[in-house]
Amino acid sequence: MLRLGIDFVRRFARNRAALIGLLLVIVVIGVALAAPWLFPRNPLRIVGRPEIWPFVNSRYPLGTDSLGRDIAAMIAYGARTTLLIGLCASVTATLIGITVGATAAYFGGWVDEMLMRFTELFQTVPNLIFVLTIVSILGQKIEYVTIAVGIVTWTPIARLTRAEFMALRDREFVQACRAMGMGNLRIMLGEILPNALPPVIVLSSLVIAGAVLFESAVSFLGLGDPNVSSWGRLIGDGRTLIRTSWYICAVPGLAIMVTVLALNLVGDGLNDALNPKLRDR
Amino acid sequence: MPLLSVRSLCVQYQTAQGTVRAVDDVSFELEAGETVGLVGESGCGKSTLGKAIMRLVPSSDGRIVLDGRDITSMSSGQLKSLRKNMQMIFQDPYGSLNPRHDVGTIIGQPLSVAGWSRRDIRDRVAELIRQVGLPADAERRYPHEFSGGQRQRVGIARALALRPKVIICDEPVSALDVSVRAQVINLLQDLQQQTGVSFLFISHDLSVVEHISDRLIVMYLGRIVESGSGEEIWRQPAHPYTLALLAAAPIADPRLARGRAKQVLQGELPSPLDPPQGCSFHERCPMARERCGKERPVLRKVSGSRMVACHYDLLEQPAELPRAVSAAS
Repeated sequence: MLRLGIDFVRRFARNRAALIGLLLVIVVIGVALAAPWLFPRNPLRIVGRPEIWPFVNSRYPLGTDSLGRDIAAMIAYGARTTLLIGLCASVTATLIGITVGATAAYFGGWVDEMLMRFTELFQTVPNLIFVLTIVSILGQKIEYVTIAVGIVTWTPIARLTRAEFMALRDREFVQACRAMGMGNLRIMLGEILPNALPPVIVLSSLVIAGAVLFESAVSFLGLGDPNVSSWGRLIGDGRTLIRTSWYICAVPGLAIMVTVLALNLVGDGLNDALNPKLRDR
Repeated sequence: MPLLSVRSLCVQYQTAQGTVRAVDDVSFELEAGETVGLVGESGCGKSTLGKAIMRLVPSSDGRIVLDGRDITSMSSGQLKSLRKNMQMIFQDPYGSLNPRHDVGTIIGQPLSVAGWSRRDIRDRVAELIRQVGLPADAERRYPHEFSGGQRQRVGIARALALRPKVIICDEPVSALDVSVRAQVINLLQDLQQQTGVSFLFISHDLSVVEHISDRLIVMYLGRIVESGSGEEIWRQPAHPYTLALLAAAPIADPRLARGRAKQVLQGELPSPLDPPQGCSFHERCPMARERCGKERPVLRKVSGSRMVACHYDLLEQPAELPRAVSAAS
């Protein structure tokens, strides 16, 4: 296992862009973790004069918004929200997707039919509207946004897992396990899943990036959790002043862009490292 | 009482084009410590028969009796305790081992499924690794670090782990180099002597089966066309199809090979979706007559343990042998 691990790291490191992406993600994670030390007080508190431009006042390096709140503090705390939602939503989506896809492919027949129709049902609903509907029904809390994003983004993972399981289901090592009387659950989790996982992990890492965008969109529309700072919400708040103080939108916009880009780069790197045979196509 | 008894077993597949009878009314017995070779060309249903006996594919009719117990309609829970009596060796040494597990885990898997303690598993795995001639450090290594022959040894060790009474060998050497084949076959024979296990040895290659089998079963399009002792069949085939198979087997001596007139079968295996009327072999049979196209021959006893499904078998009518055959003998 150790040797496989070293191999994995080496293959990942060969992709420069992925390394840069990883570095950026680490920086964002670092900022998110360090937020309470960097800005010990509530980031939504009004600290100074409104609309101070960035790099003008050294106390507020990224300036203040229309209410006089410290943008740097809101960005740092926003990183926590964004990453947490992205990660949890991706885990939720992956769990649902793997469960549905694996069950459908392994048992086949009417189980497959039913689960795939169910998946298509979810695919046909426009994603953003679906998220907004769920959030407006459940309520404006960060947990509900996470669940909503997870519920909306699991379908591609289910389809991918199903395809992988289909290819592996009839392989001889699986038949050998059935011949020795191994239970279905153990075959699915212990035998097939580890072989099906690499491409699924890549897709899950991309779902994180997608979830960040969803969260921003929800917050931008004012349906996010009002008690936490979030990048999307900051953009939403700043949009009325876009002609005069455009930096209020631009700073969190840049943060979203860099984070999503970095996550995508990491996803590509994971793809190279986990599916080495596909890389040189 | 035979160890394994298969009675009129049928396996059907439903496809979009219709029903395929992959295995059609097959009966045979396997005694303890015996090796039965099952031969036939690709697509004749021999692997399906093996998997149906393992209950890996469902059978539509007939009975499978293992050690006096009918396993045909057992649930997977009931089967679990009987699995230890019957194991399988697979064809593809690359596909039959999970690349994510080390060899020790793979060999120990049947034991862990059967509920052995961790220490017992470790001891048994070490013993098996020695028994099949793998290097002692194999346990911690992964399948991709081994050659095809060694991987097949891992598969054999896994099949042996629970000390089964029957092992179904599904073309265990056809994916291996010729040089490695003999080693693996010898290993199987040694293991049979040591443990008294019975083999159902499936192969499309008669020269492989010849070495290891006590008895031979020849299948064509899902049905048995001939069965009997290996020696007898080898010396004097009774079914024209067996004769053709034998004629297709390579001969080591090039001078003999040159002198032998080859009787090459014409045409392809007919589609199992639409098997021919009458004898399923008559369209390709060099000795077919009018009756063969109308009436399906039943498998009947010709002498001793010899069974054949042909209206005009070659034992009865040696005069009918075409020239190709007399040149071959």
